[in-house]
Amino acid sequence: MPQLGDNFRTARLWDVRVWEYLVLLLAAGLVVFVAPMPKLGVIALIFGAAVAKTALVVRNYMHLKREHLLLYAIALIPVLLFVGLTLTLLPDIALRQ
Amino acid sequence: MDTLAASPSDLPVETDRIRAIPRGKVGVWWFLASEIMIFGGLIGCFILIRLAHGGWRAEADHVHWRIGALNTLVLLTSSLTMALACDAVKEGNQRALKIFLALTMFLGLTFLGIKAFEYSREIADGWTPATNLFFAFYFTLTGLHACHVLGGVVANTSLWVCAVRGRLWPLIQHRVELAGLYWHFVDVVWIFLFPLVYLS
Repeated sequence: MPQLGDNFRTARLWDVRVWEYLVLLLAAGLVVFVAPMPKLGVIALIFGAAVAKTALVVRNYMHLKREHLLLYAIALIPVLLFVGLTLTLLPDIALRQ
Repeated sequence: MDTLAASPSDLPVETDRIRAIPRGKVGVWWFLASEIMIFGGLIGCFILIRLAHGGWRAEADHVHWRIGALNTLVLLTSSLTMALACDAVKEGNQRALKIFLALTMFLGLTFLGIKAFEYSREIADGWTPATNLFFAFYFTLTGLHACHVLGGVVANTSLWVCAVRGRLWPLIQHRVELAGLYWHFVDVVWIFLFPLVYLS
């Protein structure tokens, strides 16, 4: 079964490659954090890196890119609820300040 | 009428696809959805209250971001070893499974050890959950996450023991993947907690 063995080897190499991307994104976030930059830009960049890391883990390690739409829906609905409810309350805080 | 006739004929195919998803996997994803609501609610409260209190920048300077960064690296590496354990299961390689599960457990315990060291330093410096609202949130969020890491370590340990004894191999194959889903979710939560608590 050389072809099957090759597939497993490719899967392992891809997992290591994803980890390398994750570490690179972590390092990039830390460089941005210590760099003399405007605070708002730093926050935008480090949270952008966090979203990219999440996408890498969820799609590759949790195999969501190969899963049925039903599992996407189960995972995404609470995320959208959380983001939506947080954004809904932001104007209240902005108006109070 | 053609479209109406086509829709019901497509329906069984889609239903079959949904039925093909293992029940355990659907169950774990539902569980993870409930976990997203728990952490999402807490993180949402933290963001809103932090914004309402001017950002808590002075308070946030007292957390040790270098230790947090080290812990992030440890957890990201544990995600890799868990993914490699799942690959080993698919390959039917029991030896590799034992090694990668043991590594994942070790890295999980390392994370908890570093977290305990960090807590002890902060408490020794006088920063406790009762100090102010920032540290109340800090200990709640990171403490709840640490409890989840501990749960993941327990699950991985039970699978490792089964793998070492060589029993229940067909069951383990499926369960390692489910435990992996949970472990990666715990990693994803930390990916957001780290910038939220330590860097912003």
